[in-house]
Amino acid sequence: MSLLTAAAHVLGLSPNTFVVTVGMAAVGMAAGVVGCFSVLRRRALVGDAAAHATLPGVAIAFAITGSRGLPVLLLGAALSAVASLGVLVLLRRFTRTREDAATAIVIGVSFGVGVALISGLVARGVPGSGGLERFLLGSTASLSTADATMLVVVSLVAMALVAAFTKEATLVSFDPGFAAAAGWPVWWIDFALVALTAVMVVVGLPAAGAVLVTALVVIPPVAARQWTDRVGVMLVLAGLFGLAASLLGVALSATIPGLATGPMVVLAASAIFTVSLLLAPKRGLLAIAMRARQPLSLPLERAQP
Amino acid sequence: MMGIDGAVAFLTGWGGMHGWAMATAAVVSAAAAVVGSLLVVRRMSLIGDAISHAVLPGIVVGVLLGGRPGGPLATAGAVVAALVTVWLAELLRSKGRLSEDAAAGVVFTTLFAAGVALLSAAASRVDADPGCVLYGMLELVPFDVVELAGVEIPRAFLTGVVVLVSLLVALWSTWRWQVATAFDTDAAAVVGIPARAMTVGLLCATAVVTVASFEAVGAVIVVAMLVVPAATAELLATTLVGLMLMATGLAVTAAGGGYLVAWQLETNAAGMIAAVLGVGYGVAILVSREGILARVSSMLRLRWRVVCEDVLAAAWRAEETGQAVPGTSRRGVALVAAWWLERRGRLLPGLVLSPQGRLEAEMVVRSHRLWETWLGRHVGLPLDHLHPPAEWIEHYLGAEMRQRLEQEMATLADPHGSAIPPER
Repeated sequence: MSLLTAAAHVLGLSPNTFVVTVGMAAVGMAAGVVGCFSVLRRRALVGDAAAHATLPGVAIAFAITGSRGLPVLLLGAALSAVASLGVLVLLRRFTRTREDAATAIVIGVSFGVGVALISGLVARGVPGSGGLERFLLGSTASLSTADATMLVVVSLVAMALVAAFTKEATLVSFDPGFAAAAGWPVWWIDFALVALTAVMVVVGLPAAGAVLVTALVVIPPVAARQWTDRVGVMLVLAGLFGLAASLLGVALSATIPGLATGPMVVLAASAIFTVSLLLAPKRGLLAIAMRARQPLSLPLERAQP
Repeated sequence: MMGIDGAVAFLTGWGGMHGWAMATAAVVSAAAAVVGSLLVVRRMSLIGDAISHAVLPGIVVGVLLGGRPGGPLATAGAVVAALVTVWLAELLRSKGRLSEDAAAGVVFTTLFAAGVALLSAAASRVDADPGCVLYGMLELVPFDVVELAGVEIPRAFLTGVVVLVSLLVALWSTWRWQVATAFDTDAAAVVGIPARAMTVGLLCATAVVTVASFEAVGAVIVVAMLVVPAATAELLATTLVGLMLMATGLAVTAAGGGYLVAWQLETNAAGMIAAVLGVGYGVAILVSREGILARVSSMLRLRWRVVCEDVLAAAWRAEETGQAVPGTSRRGVALVAAWWLERRGRLLPGLVLSPQGRLEAEMVVRSHRLWETWLGRHVGLPLDHLHPPAEWIEHYLGAEMRQRLEQEMATLADPHGSAIPPER
């Protein structure tokens, strides 16, 4: 612990601020890493459904336990996020509703239910219920050292899982048909990837809030994809971009009073993405424009028969 | 005359303002349902979601330039923002080589974040706070009024009516084009219909509806108003007009119902309207023509018929061989089926067939043995493998099929040597 205090002292931060900052960095990094596979698997918006669906879970967990503790609330969020993914699967299996409409229904209805629950709790003057609104747009102000430590642990576990199963996840992301034919349990790997995304969305709530947290799992991977064609490199880059966006956003929102963390984290991530989109060496728009200006060099001299 | 006077008295009377708030919710919900129907049918629900988030910076800029949240400047800003969203997403897809959902995910979160940041930065100059953006202020709508013909009418309600009427006029005047574009965009473009203009128009309409419902329900919950009524109606209706009418009806009902529930439970009206819409969708999943109840009941009816027919056939075979009916017909579901068949006059007490029951049993056994014969001759299965498939298919062969099998087989006995009963 003394090492931590020393590190905080060197940076001129209070120990709590230091731990919270480390926590946000870890969450941003893990979200970027985990998000790579949901982007490669073309499921970028599944995380959005889970994110909006965390809200009823937070409210119900609070109503049942009366606890303001982050672990309890996030557990509720995780349960309802997973439940919403289950609902999505059931809707696709048993109804005529198409996937896009089903996703939008889960987003709209679960968010509405969450808002109704929270505002009902607030109207009844339940002590502490006002604090639930920070889950809408994100706020790191009330994080304790223990909370931040929990976020760090979950993030590290998530990244370790991705590192351990990179091969399987890559296979399923690029060629699910081949993976199934080769005997891999595609359904379970898919399920694990989606569940891991849901978990990252949940631990990302304090950083970005239910409405915007999906950006944490989408934007850094998309930015990283611009720079490379290799999954390993993409994972590392996405993690670094997520880390940078998270730190930058938290720092920015701390300087402007009354501004939620979420929007700033997202804008920081978008800035990184914009730079990547323009300047990446092969896929960047600038590089494409330069290539277009170069004279065509076709292999005119054919080998004579 | 009750008519208009009664309506006005109701709207200005009860509980002061609840009537107006409900009317506003109903009007904007109806407008959203109409636009949403086209979005859902065209598989553009998530574009609707993206646009409803992304119009926020447009609205904020409009307000900063001196407009009101639901006014013309904000509307113009929102339409611009919507078009920018779609243009950017398309650019990222084609030039940035992103998948469609990733592109939408990047653009709408960024624009929404920019909107919230702008709003927070300009909080002192704008009378809309981030809370309003997320879940609206339906309860406050009746306090911002304009006077029209001596009656004080909430501004948001008037905006909603204007938007709804313009939408209906636009839809009516382009109806055939809309239908053609909705069901086959490419074919519509080939025959000279301005399909692209229809699509852009739909995107703009989504933006306009979001602005109109912004004060009432905010920019997030509006996605429920756009998509859920249409998705619900899609399960129940068979034509596009029917779908739109039903979606509008559902939207208005949910708006009124959700408001009342929220008022009773002292909670946020917009959230509760979304919740009521969700319940309606859940009910539709259960009770629609291809719904879960219909499927489960048809499955159970089939299972029941199979059990009953098996009991009858077992009794018939026992009669044929002169042995006792096997124990399987005296246990579990078969026991219930036997009781039922007795009540229906197919069986007499003690698993003895009545004349009607004997006739039905014969047809089942006939199907069974004909099928065994056919399998034995054409598939070449060994004798002891013929029974299981025949046991399954005996419940599905009709009189005509049996006739044709009999003609082709031209035999009176199945491969085991048992007689095939004649058709009756």
